[in-house]
Amino acid sequence: MAEDHKKDPGWADTPGFRRGFLIFLGVAGLMAVIAGFIPAFQKKELHFALEAIPVFFAVWGFGSFMFIVMAGRHLRKFVSRKEGYYDELE
Amino acid sequence: MTNLSNLLTVLSTNPAVILFVGACVAALFPHQFGAFRRPFMLLAVAMSGALLWRLGLTSFGELKIFGEDVTMVRIDPLGRLFAIVFHIAAAINIIYGWHERDRSQVFASLSYPAAALGGVLSGDFLTLFVWWEIAAITSVFLVWAPGTRATFLAGMRYLVIQVLSGTMLLAGVVLVFRETGSLAFNEVGLRDETGAVKASGLVLFLAFGIKAAFPLLHNWVQDAYPKASFTGSIVLSVFTTKLAVASIARAFPGEPALIYIGAVMTIFPIFFALIENDLRKVLCYSINNQVGFMLVGIGLGAINGATGYAFTNIIFESLLFMAVGAAMYRTGTANATELGGLYRSMPATMVMCIIGALSISAFPGFAGFVTKGLIIDAAGAEHLFWIWLILLFASAGVLEHAGIKIPFFTFFAHDSGKRPSEAPPHMLVAMGISSVLCIAIGLFPETLYAYLPDPKALNDYHPYSAYHIVEQTQLLIWAVIAFAVLKVMKWYPAEIPSDNLDTDWFYRIPGRALAGWCADATSAVWRLSWDAFRTWFMGWMSRIYSVHGPEGQLARAWPIGFMALAVAVVLAFCLVLSLTS
Repeated sequence: MAEDHKKDPGWADTPGFRRGFLIFLGVAGLMAVIAGFIPAFQKKELHFALEAIPVFFAVWGFGSFMFIVMAGRHLRKFVSRKEGYYDELE
Repeated sequence: MTNLSNLLTVLSTNPAVILFVGACVAALFPHQFGAFRRPFMLLAVAMSGALLWRLGLTSFGELKIFGEDVTMVRIDPLGRLFAIVFHIAAAINIIYGWHERDRSQVFASLSYPAAALGGVLSGDFLTLFVWWEIAAITSVFLVWAPGTRATFLAGMRYLVIQVLSGTMLLAGVVLVFRETGSLAFNEVGLRDETGAVKASGLVLFLAFGIKAAFPLLHNWVQDAYPKASFTGSIVLSVFTTKLAVASIARAFPGEPALIYIGAVMTIFPIFFALIENDLRKVLCYSINNQVGFMLVGIGLGAINGATGYAFTNIIFESLLFMAVGAAMYRTGTANATELGGLYRSMPATMVMCIIGALSISAFPGFAGFVTKGLIIDAAGAEHLFWIWLILLFASAGVLEHAGIKIPFFTFFAHDSGKRPSEAPPHMLVAMGISSVLCIAIGLFPETLYAYLPDPKALNDYHPYSAYHIVEQTQLLIWAVIAFAVLKVMKWYPAEIPSDNLDTDWFYRIPGRALAGWCADATSAVWRLSWDAFRTWFMGWMSRIYSVHGPEGQLARAWPIGFMALAVAVVLAFCLVLSLTS
């Protein structure tokens, strides 16, 4: 079974790793956006006009994620009950 | 029933029956031979798989039951695909649960996959119904396994819902038979030639829909699965909903209603998963979401996409369940608030969890990428703009709850201070096999494509086209950037221990109260009726007793001659009646 230890910073908790990860994300995101502008990487037969926008998928991915989290957190106000809610009623 | 020997021959050559018999034998293994139980179960899976391989695409077991033709085994491309992945999943689950000694779980962890296998290989509705019900009954043992009152109640609710699905399936079968005069399990369709919804199709649709966890019918998944043992929940995550998906793909391909039902299913679980603290419940919402993608694929007629995604989903979804299960095995909890920081002491489990997360998020190079694209492309090809947009939105949602939340809150996030040992070797082996499959399918999808129902349709499909990689990478990387922004800005909601209400609230609280009220009302009506009619009723009873009781006139011994005369009179009466009518 688990044992509780004194909390110690692991490699993922070091500022260096966090900074490195954020830089990696930024570079990867930038490269993905730049790739969207390269004609050879663009879709030839479009189904929708939005697909022609080189950064559409980046914007939609970012926006969708933000919306899910920012809107979804308010769901708690309506559906969250204290832990063991059903245990007490059944 | 005709031709008993033929039936026995068919049963002995049915891969599902071999698995089922294996489950029974494994459960009856004496304790002193307990070490051989799991190897024997693997042997049963291997034998069943070898038989499936040897049989190839075929159908057999044509029998007459109650005068009607049934085909007990039909191995077509659709059934074979699900049969293959069910064998893989069953074998992985057996390895993962190697430590498990509980006989009921041993039995259920093989008999339940056997039932699902029998279902996807059914050539007729009657055989499907039998396996459908066996799947319901065997799987409930996994929910009951922990043996608490909460798991008992959840198991009962689960059983009621599954049996309801079975009952509706039987009703649908009767209606289909009345309509077509056949029990063959083929395309049924929801509408008739005029476009009106037909009763047979609707009832079958709902029967399958309950098991596939359609919106508003979905909550049995979140109610039951997380209450099973951690090995049980992994087994449960694979089979029930995928049996339903296979059945829907066979009976309702190209049904437009499925597009919209599936689209709703891809969206709403995302929001519930976001605020859920129990990571196994998060994965249950993920099941709903993933089945939604499959239903959209079926509705679009993209059976290759739907079934291919089901195949890969079974592998990466169970990998995520296994990773969370391993953390739970070592720490005793699956709550996000109590986990975190486990990467320090469970690095191998963490790596394999991330592989599952990358796969379910459909990052290039992993299994989800080569199959999910088939569904989203199909929506584009049909020029269904909003559905296409919703699927992209839902893809970002999958990344949020399954791609990030599961590995992040289990292995990173805040340091819980727990330093458990790495997962046991057998769990690592099981997760390792799943991880290798996730990567192998992702890198070499051609093998999977060859086994899809219509491989020729994929001749011109290239998942690793430059624009597909760019599209998907943009979507996912920028969604991860959104997560980073939310964390840095401290806008990402903290996990809170809570119970979140969902549709099960209706039958667990007001439904339960209503059932109690009905019982009390019935009891009160009975008491009132009894009080009102007791005197009258007892008077009648005493008069009947005086005639028919031991001392009554009709209880006397009558002479044989009188009886013969009475029979002759009755016969004469019948004769006269028949002559005059």
